[in-house]
Amino acid sequence: MDKKVKVIPCSGIGKVFGFMAREAALKTVYELCPEKAETVCLARIVTGDQEVKEKIEGSDCITVDGCPKMCASKNVTAAGGIVIEEIKVLDTVKEHKGEKFGSPSQLDADGEVVTGEIASKIADRINEVK
Amino acid sequence: MSEKYAVLPCNGLDKCAGVISREIALRLCGDAGHEIICPVFSRIAELKYRKIISEHPLLVIDGCPTRCASKLAAEKNFKIAGKITVTEEAKKSGIELSDTLQLGEKEHALIGLLLNDLKTPGNTSKQPDEREGESYHFDYETFQKGKFLFRVPVNKDIFFIENDCWAYVSGNRARIGVTDFVQQNLSDILFFTPPEMGSEIDQFGEAGEIESSKSVFEVISPVSGKVIGVNEALIQKPELINENPYELGWIADLELTAFENDKELLIGFDQYFEIMKRKVMDLNG
Repeated sequence: MDKKVKVIPCSGIGKVFGFMAREAALKTVYELCPEKAETVCLARIVTGDQEVKEKIEGSDCITVDGCPKMCASKNVTAAGGIVIEEIKVLDTVKEHKGEKFGSPSQLDADGEVVTGEIASKIADRINEVK
Repeated sequence: MSEKYAVLPCNGLDKCAGVISREIALRLCGDAGHEIICPVFSRIAELKYRKIISEHPLLVIDGCPTRCASKLAAEKNFKIAGKITVTEEAKKSGIELSDTLQLGEKEHALIGLLLNDLKTPGNTSKQPDEREGESYHFDYETFQKGKFLFRVPVNKDIFFIENDCWAYVSGNRARIGVTDFVQQNLSDILFFTPPEMGSEIDQFGEAGEIESSKSVFEVISPVSGKVIGVNEALIQKPELINENPYELGWIADLELTAFENDKELLIGFDQYFEIMKRKVMDLNG
């Protein structure tokens, strides 16, 4: 299988955990696993963009959600993507109780560290399948 | 932009223009206290966001011509008070956006310009009308029969009905008109009667008339909506419909009222193109 794993974060706008989901996804596809992974815009998935739909249908996908609403996971599944891993930012955040992560547009140092950890988890999962 | 707005940006994940869209939205909501709307979450948290939008005018910020934010607003029938498409604004300002997601000097300059524009009272609310002509782009597939050339736009936001009329949907608005099949069959169009401004038209309802020496054609609206604009140029120059019934020869602009329902009875390019070809062959042998 030569298709890249799709790493799809939630829209995550206006919330720091959503921003971390997005940053972790981008770090994974552009820095950690550029040969094995790519990202797809969730808004294009939910608006039924045909090009994007064909891209994810039947493909291995890792979703990254910033809040318990799980928008990325639910919408990717609904669009026919095979979600091989649901990453929840909050799972990693809970391991860093008391730290300050930043704002919805700017991560603090702790936020950068946690985002890096999430990206590593995503990359590990990608390396398992590729 | 003196009052508070609800700001709906595109998701802006993987293109520079999208990053700019998000950045503008975040700055507006961070500095000036406007309400931000998460584009994807808004689909499921309808009650929450409908309340915000009922209290504040909606500003939609699209990054690229895919216009996901506009589509999401249209899907929920949110009324759009103002709209920006970052790629169009960049082009107007002569700024070539980066291929990467990193915002450089040029991109920050554009963000500054747009934020300044938005902070000028009244600027936001006039933007949809100012930009309406720029928002509609047409790419055509053609079919030729003898000396007659029939163009049909292939854009996926353009919907058709078998009555040879089209609707180009953008946000919660649609521009409507007739197809080349109509103007070729009518031949030289001599008169145009526009639909009444402010009137409510049902899907498949009459939206004006066009008349040639051969016959009168009742324009059928593919979508339900309120008439918010008519192409007044056609009153003096109805021949613009013969020149191009999609661009200069458009008929009217509607504010959509039931697009989700209307969609069930609309067809896309592929289906209409085949129907039109069959009609041409039937008429001309």
